Amino acid sequence: MMNDETENFEQKLRRQSLRQIPGGWRAEILVAAGENRRKTREFSFAAAVASGLRQIFWPAPAAWAGLAVVWIFIFALNFSIRDKTPQVAEKVSPPSPEVIAELRQQKLLFAQLIGSSDAREAEPPKFFPRPRTERVEILAA
Amino acid sequence: MPRATEIERLYDKHAQPLFAFLLNFTRDEADTRDLLQEIFVKLAREPKLLDGVREERAFLIRLAHNAAIDLIRRRGTRERTKENFAAETISIFAPANDPDGKFFREELAIALGELPDEQRAVVHLKLWEGLTFEEIAEALEIPPNTAASRYRYGLDKMRGRLRPLYEEMKKAE
Repeated sequence: MMNDETENFEQKLRRQSLRQIPGGWRAEILVAAGENRRKTREFSFAAAVASGLRQIFWPAPAAWAGLAVVWIFIFALNFSIRDKTPQVAEKVSPPSPEVIAELRQQKLLFAQLIGSSDAREAEPPKFFPRPRTERVEILAA
Repeated sequence: MPRATEIERLYDKHAQPLFAFLLNFTRDEADTRDLLQEIFVKLAREPKLLDGVREERAFLIRLAHNAAIDLIRRRGTRERTKENFAAETISIFAPANDPDGKFFREELAIALGELPDEQRAVVHLKLWEGLTFEEIAEALEIPPNTAASRYRYGLDKMRGRLRPLYEEMKKAE
């Protein structure tokens, strides 16, 4: 009796027809879905590239990571060396005139000691007047 | 990736029942439209979503159910209370021709609106989608026994509320 009543009630409810979906929604929803499909396709190119890279790198991630560390070390070393060079150059000040004069004198002295032609080039020979007696001795010899 | 024609096929086959289910759940036509669009956009965006799915309808109802729950949670914190939710006059039923039938559908819509979400979902799928408790359980991700008990609770509540009207209509018939 109770079951019959329940079944009748269920049947009554089932017979109530439902509202129909508004017809205009179809086009709007399919257009929205289509736009998204296009965006997904564009995105999927980037995803394919990423996937390709993953396939290359994934088999040995530790090896690639090690290689990356080595390269980073090389670059760091390279940059640190490059950075120091101009600093050294900047610190060297031009020699003072006294130092230049001293160096020139030492060079001349050295040239005189070894008797090289550099000395003559460095300084033309000077004329020292001698007494006549000395000149005669030289001629006699 | 689902081709445009595949999305159209899915729409033509499943949009109507999804619409009724979502409208019964949300009681709001604009929300129903948004959710329906969300589902089809998801289908277009995620090409492999339906791969290996045995029952398309059950799977899509699950998507709709999850989307509707998310929406109701968001909406619950926003503006609506259960009282004004139940009091809404929006009906999931087609307009009836006779006054008695029209009145019964209005009352039925209100009685459905007063049910808790989980009972309303089961009652809808059982009565107007003709799903078995196993299929409902699969769609809503609940045990079949839970689906059956929710249905009985829901149906009893509606029968209690509609009994006087139902009895009157039966006598008139």
